[in-house]
Amino acid sequence: MNNETDDKLMAQAAQLSTEITPERDLWPDIEAAIEAPRRRSSWTPYLAQAAAIVLLVGASSSITYVMTKGGANVSPVIPTMGLDAEFTSFGSSYELGQGFQNARNNLAAQMDLELDRLSPDVRAEVEENLAVIRSAIIEINSALEDEPNNVLLQDLLLKTYREELTVMRKVGGLTQHVMSRNDI
Amino acid sequence: MEVRNSMKNVTLILLGILLASPALAEKIDQTQDADANGKVEVFNLSGDIEIVGWNRKQIQVTGTVGDDAEEFIFERSGKVTTIKVKVPDRMHGHKDVSSDLMIRIPKGSSIDVSTVSADISVEGVEGEQELQSVSGDIDTEAFSTDMDIGTVSGDVDVEGSGKDSEARLESVSGDVTAEGLSGIIKADTTNGDIEITQGDFDRARIDTVNGDVLYVAALRSAGKLDVDTVNGTVDITFVGDVSAHFDIETFNGHIRNCFGPEAERTSKYAPGWELSFTEGSGEGRVAIATLNGGLKLCKE
Repeated sequence: MNNETDDKLMAQAAQLSTEITPERDLWPDIEAAIEAPRRRSSWTPYLAQAAAIVLLVGASSSITYVMTKGGANVSPVIPTMGLDAEFTSFGSSYELGQGFQNARNNLAAQMDLELDRLSPDVRAEVEENLAVIRSAIIEINSALEDEPNNVLLQDLLLKTYREELTVMRKVGGLTQHVMSRNDI
Repeated sequence: MEVRNSMKNVTLILLGILLASPALAEKIDQTQDADANGKVEVFNLSGDIEIVGWNRKQIQVTGTVGDDAEEFIFERSGKVTTIKVKVPDRMHGHKDVSSDLMIRIPKGSSIDVSTVSADISVEGVEGEQELQSVSGDIDTEAFSTDMDIGTVSGDVDVEGSGKDSEARLESVSGDVTAEGLSGIIKADTTNGDIEITQGDFDRARIDTVNGDVLYVAALRSAGKLDVDTVNGTVDITFVGDVSAHFDIETFNGHIRNCFGPEAERTSKYAPGWELSFTEGSGEGRVAIATLNGGLKLCKE
């Protein structure tokens, strides 16, 4: 009984077509999609997210580099006004974490100490420039809200964050370097 | 008689005080022998520093040192000569430590100069240069050695001789101007403009947040040019032929190019433009990204 059933099923299966013909010819569309140049801003969300991870790893390395370059001292974490409220996201899935905030707070605290040694004019100028950078960060974040997967914006945002760290390191480190030279 | 003696004593005391006063407020003019290719370290908190390379194996320092400076140090240890205006560790109230130094050094020397609020000017020094200031301008000449120049609120101005070097030029709020440099350059500002002209580069990296960028220079075969701005405009003119793959993108600015295909919108719904193409055989690479700045790309 079972053998008879199996034989019938096998016979019916053998009669089935081995190819399924689509209702319309899809190849031209597929071919066009393959041959079309890939645009950076139209990456799939998965690719963009993968890129964001890579960028974040790169940013982390940059922060480490910035922190260690010039023998920057790692001070106790001192929350600095205006720094904690800023964060960003990549496709609403990624954010610069506590490690970044800690690194930034450390640099800001060190810079604040060094700024006290400078004239009010220079202090004001440094603050003005940091405000320019933070304004740019807010602007890029705002654009990212509309286009969360835009790789250009993600790249610019990370570079601008890095620029902020670089300025803080430069001001803190340079002043410290110059003043320490007084003890030659 | 007693009054006359008292007056005499007071006069002698005043004379003694005057004679015992440190000579720091006086002009300085000192010379020492030096290595032809040695290193010269200079520290001056504020004032001016002018350094000129000459053909003698000597270092000469002339100028004035501020009244409240603690000590003027000019000493040599092997190949290293240190020139320093030492200031008090704690400076309460107004202290005159501003010192103007004119320093002549062997032209093959390398220099390491640090200041807080002094301008730095260097001419004819062919060794490596490390020049750092917080609020001073820096003006120097480049030869075939590396230079690392940084200031926070001053301008950086470098004039090259056309020979290859590796130059790193940074200012936070000042402008960076480089003319006639070649080889490798990295220019970085936050709020200042960057101008690179008459150069010929293997590698040029330009970063600014709010500044404008002007690049009128050649890019060598297999050379790389990277430009990033947030709000600045970018004006690139390649001198001579360029062979590179171009990747240019703006989020909110126009692209005007004199060669290559027309730029395309990044999206029907976004204001950005992008341009990707290969010029020549494409050994090099040009990557430019801006958020709001417009971009012009030409060659001559």
